[in-house]
Amino acid sequence: MPVVEVLLWDLERLVGVDLSVSELEVLLPKLKCEVESVEGERVTYEATHDRPDLYSAELLSVALKGLLGVERGLPRFKVGEPAGEARVEGPGYRPYAFFAVVEGVRLDDEAIRQLVQLQEKVHATFGRDRRKVSIGFYDLEGVEFPISYVAADPRSVKFKPLGFTIEMTPEEVLRNHPKGVAYRHLVEGRGVVPLIVDAQGRVVSFPPITNSEEYRVTEDTTSVLIDVTSTEPEAGRRVLSLVASAFAARGGTVRPVRLVHARGYEVSPRLEPDSVLYELSLTERLLGLRLSGEEVRELLLSMRMEAEPAREGVLEVRYPYYRPDILHPVDIAEEIAMAYGYERIEPEVLPPKHPGREHPLEVFSREARSIMAEMGFTEVNNYMMTSKRVMFELMRLPEQPIIEVENPRHEAYHALRTWITPQLLQVLASSKHAGYPQRIFEVGDVVIPDEAAETRSREERRLAFAIAGKGVTLTDGLAVLKAFASQLSLSVSLQPLEHPSFIPGRAARVLLCGEEAGFVGEVHPQVLVNFELQVPVVAGELNLDVARRCYLLWRRGSS
Amino acid sequence: MAPGGDGAPIYPVYLVERQRRIALEVVKGEVDVDELASRLGVKREDLMRDLEELRHKGLIAVERVEQQRLVLTEEGERYVLEGTPERRVLEALKRAGRLRRGELARVAEQLGLRLSAEEAEIGLAQLAAAGALRFEDDYVELSNPEAAESRVRAVEEALRGIAQGLGAPEAVVPILKRRRLVEARRRASMRVRPTDHLRQLVERGLLGEAWVVTELTPELIASGEWRNVVFKPFDLSAEPPTPTFGRRHPYLEFLDYVREILVSMGFEEMKGPHVELELWNFDALFQAQDHPAREIHDTYFVKGGLLGRFGDAELMRRIARVHEDGWDTGSRGWGYKWDPVRALRLILRTQTTAVSARTLYARGEGEYMCFSLDRVFRPENLDAKHSMEFYQLEGIIVGRNVTFRHLLGFFHEMARRLNLGEVKVKPAYFPFTEPSVEGFIKHPKLGWIEVFPGGMFRPEMLRALGLRDVNVAAWGIGIDRIAMTVLGVDDIRLLFARDLAFLRSVPRPIPESMVG
Repeated sequence: MPVVEVLLWDLERLVGVDLSVSELEVLLPKLKCEVESVEGERVTYEATHDRPDLYSAELLSVALKGLLGVERGLPRFKVGEPAGEARVEGPGYRPYAFFAVVEGVRLDDEAIRQLVQLQEKVHATFGRDRRKVSIGFYDLEGVEFPISYVAADPRSVKFKPLGFTIEMTPEEVLRNHPKGVAYRHLVEGRGVVPLIVDAQGRVVSFPPITNSEEYRVTEDTTSVLIDVTSTEPEAGRRVLSLVASAFAARGGTVRPVRLVHARGYEVSPRLEPDSVLYELSLTERLLGLRLSGEEVRELLLSMRMEAEPAREGVLEVRYPYYRPDILHPVDIAEEIAMAYGYERIEPEVLPPKHPGREHPLEVFSREARSIMAEMGFTEVNNYMMTSKRVMFELMRLPEQPIIEVENPRHEAYHALRTWITPQLLQVLASSKHAGYPQRIFEVGDVVIPDEAAETRSREERRLAFAIAGKGVTLTDGLAVLKAFASQLSLSVSLQPLEHPSFIPGRAARVLLCGEEAGFVGEVHPQVLVNFELQVPVVAGELNLDVARRCYLLWRRGSS
Repeated sequence: MAPGGDGAPIYPVYLVERQRRIALEVVKGEVDVDELASRLGVKREDLMRDLEELRHKGLIAVERVEQQRLVLTEEGERYVLEGTPERRVLEALKRAGRLRRGELARVAEQLGLRLSAEEAEIGLAQLAAAGALRFEDDYVELSNPEAAESRVRAVEEALRGIAQGLGAPEAVVPILKRRRLVEARRRASMRVRPTDHLRQLVERGLLGEAWVVTELTPELIASGEWRNVVFKPFDLSAEPPTPTFGRRHPYLEFLDYVREILVSMGFEEMKGPHVELELWNFDALFQAQDHPAREIHDTYFVKGGLLGRFGDAELMRRIARVHEDGWDTGSRGWGYKWDPVRALRLILRTQTTAVSARTLYARGEGEYMCFSLDRVFRPENLDAKHSMEFYQLEGIIVGRNVTFRHLLGFFHEMARRLNLGEVKVKPAYFPFTEPSVEGFIKHPKLGWIEVFPGGMFRPEMLRALGLRDVNVAAWGIGIDRIAMTVLGVDDIRLLFARDLAFLRSVPRPIPESMVG
């Protein structure tokens, strides 16, 4: 979630009333924000992904005015005459561009800092790191309309990129400019690059990479040109409306730009509100609150929305176009709940209509765990994530199919376990100080690749146990196995098993009700050495799904 | 009932040799502890424990009294050894009959007695006080030898008696004190006397001798000899060894209790796979395909690029429509082209909400409540606060009349059952719920911590899964955080600890509401 920093005095001048930190600590959570820290005038808070309008002081102040009752209903900004025309003929992979001009803004250092913060936070979140949407703003001084958004040859023109005093071609920018290096994957290898040029062919910007140094916004800037380029038209339009509104909230006058593109033309930015029809009954159906139409309208006013009756029981709710989070009437219901105050909504416990039930696999597992604990075994709990080294190499096994992840954070956890026994040996290796003999077990899931399954894998619930100590032999393992089986009336049979992890002639395949269910054996000395263990270990593993089926056979047969 | 009283039989009592000797000494009659110690030839301190045991067995009674005891001063002791001055003067006078005062020391010396001038004066004064002398000018004469002898002897005997600890006649004591020959010392003394029970035992020869054993053996039990033995008492301050025992894992035991709580609230447990299609983990939840949570920073992708198999083309079509334009739900949708291939990619599930989605798809509309308590995976570096694998407690409440208030009600009920205290709620954002909420509880150390995220599933999601006209309240609790509070550990890795000594040491995590 984006973390936003604002200054109290800046917010105060935008809202127009005195604010205290403690007031902000109450108000920000009502907008889903969480105050992270306060240092003097500096307030840092975490905002949510759905509310890009709260990523800077400008539109935060608009929302706060609503909550404080300073100014309610739809925000209204000054709009002037059209500023000019823009031709939109960008590259096919980034076809959309939207422009706006805001005049008469006074930008001090803090204002610029806030607007840059808005730009960066929107890039990082809603803009999907500039891939989906990117924003630029420039000093309009020296830019001559009509402007154009074009697909250009990356070697055809030169301009001074932001922060540089030398001119570069777009291709050179991608190699040498820090932003070029960081974002070249968005435009490279496509033959053409997107550029914004003015009537004289001067490069204003190279979206979504960097601007021209010539048009950098400074404290002397009074008129700005804003551009938003995007891969989706709707997203671009809303973000332009968002940024233009933010500038306008600093006191500027928005001057629209007429966009000319292959599909016709449109006026940008869109400042008219969006609207959605809201059935009043939803308040009660979804929130459990009984509120009249009038109450709902009042609450929405404080959320900077306006509602008018559309027909019986239905309101037409109008909200700022820069709110991308309103998709459905339920989003309006949430606004109502937020304005009403979550803390005022009375909790109600729903009495169960049916009895609850634990999953049969868990019931059976719990029983198996009890039996093992009663036999003196200590239960352990390992991660399902492990490594091929532990699963195979240390166990003297050739590599077998296993579910691995593409993006592990640590080499010890890059795959899902196919058996539990190796992890029990890890536990024994970490517990050498804990005295012998040691008897441990784990009941857990393993994942085995399976081409035929929906998720290309199947899961088994396993019981694994190990006994470590001087004098421990296969007999100890078999004794445990027999005792476990007899507690659940499982019919057991054994077959000799040759397995690289166990001493030849000292391991058995275990069958329950005739079905292969697992193994028990004396761990091979080389395996013990691999785990740095100095005492003999007997280990066994059983498929509890098989055990459960076998138990059911007996249960049903005997009833 | 007192042993032996009312015709009840008197059982023999067996004592260890040392205690038996004490009892046989005490039965002779009330005695002071010091006296008893000297008779038995042991130190007073060594007797105490045995006396206490004998008293406990009802064989003796012990009375503590505070006594004044007379002890000799240095001068008194010297008089006992050398004779009192009056004795020495008397002996000299007996020899000489009448003599000059100045000659006393010389006469005494002839008798082998040392007598200083000062002592001579003391001796004369004492004899004079008894009226046994006659003085004439410088001469002194023994006029009444009997009176002198009796006076001298009284003091001598008193001093000797005190020296032997036997005390002295009352009348003499003030004189001795005045002469600074004795002084009184206060002292707690202990008197021991036999009980009737002991007397009866001794009279009837029922006080036997026992031997001390450290261990009750099958032989002792079989032979009945256990009646005659005394078990060596244990030192309770000694640290006993730790028994080896089996036990369930403390964290998993806590999760068992959580399951129990959920079941008692009417929830049915649901399960789903750990390796999951993106479809169930994200797409079915109306989480847009370009949502940041679906990037490599937040999701583990299964290596190999193999796509999952999924047969329900109709569900895929419904998901595509709600993502693209909201379909007939009244939603705008996300406004992008949904990619069915992306939905078939395999991941390790990042949220058990995938299980909820599968359950809703399988069960459809109705009135039911389900929960899942299982593991999820996120690409995190393993440290005290983060884990790439953890448990999530997920749940859904499905029904026509289910509202946001029921979700809040669930949080309060859950907090009550787990004794988490007050719950504070605030608006939140999750891609698949609206309204969304975060519930906080007050942690004693960390302050308000978020433990109850939830919300009402979005209609786009429900419609795609085939549900209409029902609401679903949903929540996904990071149960590890609550478990850490209950178990009193502050490192999330300890929930998966590999150290058996630690696992054995963790106290049982029974929720307070279930035992209190």
